[in-house]
Amino acid sequence: MDQSDKDTVVRIDALQKWYGAFHVLKDISLTVPRGARIVICGPSGSGKSSLIRCVNGLEAYQQGTIDLEGVRLGENAAQTTLARRKTGMVFQSFNLFPHLTVLANCTLALRRVSGMARGEADELASQYLEKVRIPEQAHKYPGQLSGGQQQRVAIARALCMNPRLMLFDEPTSALDPEMIKEVLDVITGLAKDGMTMLCVTHEMGFAREVADEVVFMDHGSIVEKAPPDQFFSQPCHPRAREFLNTLLH
Amino acid sequence: MTTLDIWLGILQGCRVTASVTLYALLFAVPFGLAFGIAQYLTTGLLRFLVTCVIEFWRSSAVIILLFVFYYALPVVGVTLSAMTVAAMVLGLNTGGYASQAVRAGLQTLDHGQKEAGQALGLSRTAILVLIELPQALLVMSPTFINLLIQLIKATSLVSLITLTDMTFRAKEISQVHYEPVPIYLSLLLAYFVLCYPITLFGRWVAQRVTPGREVRRGV
Repeated sequence: MDQSDKDTVVRIDALQKWYGAFHVLKDISLTVPRGARIVICGPSGSGKSSLIRCVNGLEAYQQGTIDLEGVRLGENAAQTTLARRKTGMVFQSFNLFPHLTVLANCTLALRRVSGMARGEADELASQYLEKVRIPEQAHKYPGQLSGGQQQRVAIARALCMNPRLMLFDEPTSALDPEMIKEVLDVITGLAKDGMTMLCVTHEMGFAREVADEVVFMDHGSIVEKAPPDQFFSQPCHPRAREFLNTLLH
Repeated sequence: MTTLDIWLGILQGCRVTASVTLYALLFAVPFGLAFGIAQYLTTGLLRFLVTCVIEFWRSSAVIILLFVFYYALPVVGVTLSAMTVAAMVLGLNTGGYASQAVRAGLQTLDHGQKEAGQALGLSRTAILVLIELPQALLVMSPTFINLLIQLIKATSLVSLITLTDMTFRAKEISQVHYEPVPIYLSLLLAYFVLCYPITLFGRWVAQRVTPGREVRRGV
């Protein structure tokens, strides 16, 4: 492994994916350096979610390769599991476990995957709940929390596994407007701590503030990749311009 | 013959009714769980075979199975006790229905639950045992209680393979003292007394499970 590999968290190379006859991802190549904060945007159906779901093996792909810190995804089940443990994922619909308390949601993988003792796991989880600013909700069930609180628990749950890369799949799309900020604030805090992240979002203000690169996708391809200042002020591609215009109006 | 005599007579069969029910559950619960989960997880030929076994037990008439296993198997050299046959046939028939409840419960769970488990690096078994089954079984608990009630009522069929359950006792008494109306009315009541508390319990469970689902989804 040379120096450039050590600084790379994810390397996606010539990725191709089909749903039956539908070509969802067309020759995607993307390198995510350590500490990078990449925002993926684009119209619905452009393949953004499929792309980040490929990165932790939730979706299969047909051609190309994905390497997570040198571990190749999809070669066999053990490799995929190993790679998965390097990533944390936050879903649009939270996907908290409704039958477990907030604390148990956070400690489940610590205890069952990392084999941590209960006391230690509880302590670690409490630290992360503190970080997402809801330590007082630890013993409630997800159904008793607001959407914004649930999504912050989901972030804490993912952080507990000490991921090298955080994947966010439209983390605020299912939230009421007044709750979006509390979740974005937490993600912004993570970015400031140096967490590497890939984030699919329509929150362009957030992208402008947090991202160091914006990737614009359309019809399964990456059509533009630029720093946010450049992307928002003078997008090169006509389809990117069109997309930004629809967001403004 | 007084009503009390009739009741005491029927009550003598209560132990057999209860035993058949409990032994049948020893077949029904593992079968329902194992085959429901198997049908949920398998695909292709394996799933077809699993489905065949479930459908055999689910779609056969209980009374005919009782006769076949009790009266016909000894002809080919397999002799099972009446209690074994009763528990197995009733249990696996109920288990066949239960397996469908288990499978449906697992299938109706939000797909995101499994994905969240995968994203955390949990194994497939851990996802099933720690995430999917607890939720599916809770949602399906009213169905399981209904199946239990049906099982208790179905045990009356074991009187046809010589077991002295409540129904068998009622027939005996009615043959000695020819008073079918009070005797069978009492028998009817006896099953009602056994099953109705379970119905009430089921209703209580259903109320706890159903609104809870909405709360849990944050609606």
